[in-house]
Amino acid sequence: MPKSRRSFSAVSKRATLLPYLFVAPAILVLLGLSIYPLLYSVTISLQARTSNGIAWGLDNFVRLTTDRFFFTALWHTFVYAAAALVCEFLLGLGLALLLNRQLRLRGLFRATLLVPMMLPTVVVGVIWRLLLNPNFGAINGTLKGFGINTEALTWTASPRLALLSVIAVDVWQWTPFVFLVLLAGLQAIPQEPYEAALIDGSSPWQTFRYVTLPLLKPAILIALLLRTMDLLRVFDQIFILTEGGPGFATETISLYIYRTAFRFFDFGYAAAMSFVLLALTNVISIVYIRFLQHREVA
Amino acid sequence: MKRAGKYLLLVLALLVALTPVYWMLTISFKTEVDHFAVPPRWLFFTPTLEHYADAFVTRSFGQYLLTSAIVAVVSTLCALVLGTLAAYALARFRLPYHMDRRLSLWILSTRMFPAIVTAVPLFLMMRDLRLLNTRASLVIVYTAFNLPFVVWMMRGFFAELPRDLEEAALVDGDSQLGALVRVVLPLVAPGLAATAVFCLIVSWNEFLFALVLTQTDAAMTLPVGIAGRVTQYEIKWGVMSAAGVVAMVPILVFALAVQKYLVRGLSLGAVKG
Repeated sequence: MPKSRRSFSAVSKRATLLPYLFVAPAILVLLGLSIYPLLYSVTISLQARTSNGIAWGLDNFVRLTTDRFFFTALWHTFVYAAAALVCEFLLGLGLALLLNRQLRLRGLFRATLLVPMMLPTVVVGVIWRLLLNPNFGAINGTLKGFGINTEALTWTASPRLALLSVIAVDVWQWTPFVFLVLLAGLQAIPQEPYEAALIDGSSPWQTFRYVTLPLLKPAILIALLLRTMDLLRVFDQIFILTEGGPGFATETISLYIYRTAFRFFDFGYAAAMSFVLLALTNVISIVYIRFLQHREVA
Repeated sequence: MKRAGKYLLLVLALLVALTPVYWMLTISFKTEVDHFAVPPRWLFFTPTLEHYADAFVTRSFGQYLLTSAIVAVVSTLCALVLGTLAAYALARFRLPYHMDRRLSLWILSTRMFPAIVTAVPLFLMMRDLRLLNTRASLVIVYTAFNLPFVVWMMRGFFAELPRDLEEAALVDGDSQLGALVRVVLPLVAPGLAATAVFCLIVSWNEFLFALVLTQTDAAMTLPVGIAGRVTQYEIKWGVMSAAGVVAMVPILVFALAVQKYLVRGLSLGAVKG
C-alpha cells in the first residue's frame, strides 16, 4: 500500500522530538515508583515516634547509633554475605573450570546444575525446611539411619547452627549463578594466549594464574558485584527458613527493617535503617565498579 | 583416571543440586505416614495426589496461582511496552549532553536499590491510594521493577542491529513508530521473547513486595500463600510441597527456554554469554 510521502523537514522535526516521547513514559514510571518513594522515605525517616506524638528531626538516626539489635543485625549481614560469597565463588569457579572443556553431556550438566538458582526462593525455603527439620527432616533421618545421634543437630532451630544453615542454603542456591557467569567468561577467552603459554612450557598452575585469572577478571568482578548486592539485602530465604530466629540468631538487616516496619509499625525508624543499607550497598558497588574501570583502562 | 575423577565430581555436584528438589517432589506425592518414616523413603512409597487436591481444591492455592499468573503476565506486558520504546530511543538517537547514556545509567541505577528500601514507602503509598490487597498494586510495582531490566536488555539487542533496514523503511515514508513495529521488532523478536520470559520469572518469584502489599486470600500470590503455610506452627508438609512443585514447574520450563540468554539476562547484559 502506498503511503503519503512526507517532506524531509517534517521527518527530521519529528525525529528530534520523538526520542523524548519514547523515553518519557518509562522515566515517569520510574520517577513515580522509584525516586518518589525514596524521597518520601527520607521524610518518613525524619519523623520519630515519641511519647507525645511525632517529632521531626534526626532522632531516628541518633537512635541507630545506640541500637544493639541494629548492630547485631548488621554483623549477621556481614558474616552471611562474606561467608556465602567466598564459598559460592570458590565452588562456582571450580565447577566452571571443570565444565570449560570438551566433555560428553556438557550441555546437560550445565542445564541441571542451574536448577537451584531458577527456583522461586520460597520453594527453596520449603525444600530446606523439609530437609533440615530436626525431627522429621531427610538429613537427620538419613543420619539416624546410619545410627548417628542427631540430638545436637537441630540446624535452623539451634542458636549455634542456624546462621550456618541459612548460609549453606544460600550457597546451595546461588553457586550456580557464579558458575554460570564464570563459565561464560571462560568461554569468551580466546585460544591464542593458551597456545602461547603451552609453547612457553608453563605449568597448568602458571597458565591458570597468569593467563586464565587475569582474563577472567571482568567476569569475576561482575559475578561478585551482583552476588554482593543480593547478599547484603538478603530477606526471602531467611524469612521462610527461620524468620530471623531462633531468638535473633539469623536476623539480618533487611529482616530487622521488615520487623520494625511491619510488625512494630515504626516506619520512621525502619526508613532510617534502610538508608544505612542503601549507603552500604552503594559504597560497595562503587568500589567494585572502580576495579572494573581500572581493568578497562589498563 | 583423571577424566573419571572429573566426571565423579560433576555427578556429585549434580546430586547435591538435584536431591533436595527431588525430595520435595517425593513429599508432595507421599502419604503423611511416609513423610515421617525413619530412615527416609527415597525411592519406594505409595504415590498419592491427595496433597495436590487438598492444596488446590480444598484450600485457596488455586486462587493464589491465578493471582500469580495474572500479575506476572500483566506487569510483564506493561514493562515490555514502556521499556522497549525507551530502549529503542536510547539505542538509536544521540541526545544532547550525552543524555542517552546518562539516562540509561540512571534507569539502571534505580534497579540497584535494595527492595526493602522502597518496600516501606511503597506500602504507605499504596495504603494512601487504598490499593493494599489488590492485584493492581503488585502489577504497578512489578512493572516499575522490571522496567530497568527491559530497557537494558532491549537496548543491547537494538544496538546490535544494523540501521540500514529501518532507514529504508523511513525513506519509504514509514513513521518512526511504524518502522519500529514493522521492521525492527520482528528482527529482535527472540531477544524480546527472552526479555519477556525473564520478567515473568522475576514477577512470579517475587516475594517481599507481595508479602508487604497483599495479605488477603483474594490478593496474595503463590509465594506469599506458601510462606504463610510454612511459617505457621503446624506445617502441612504435603500441601506445602505440592504448592512448591506447582510454583516451580513453570519457572523451570521457562528457564530452559531462555538458556541461551541466561547469562546476559542475569547480569543485566554486562556479560554476553
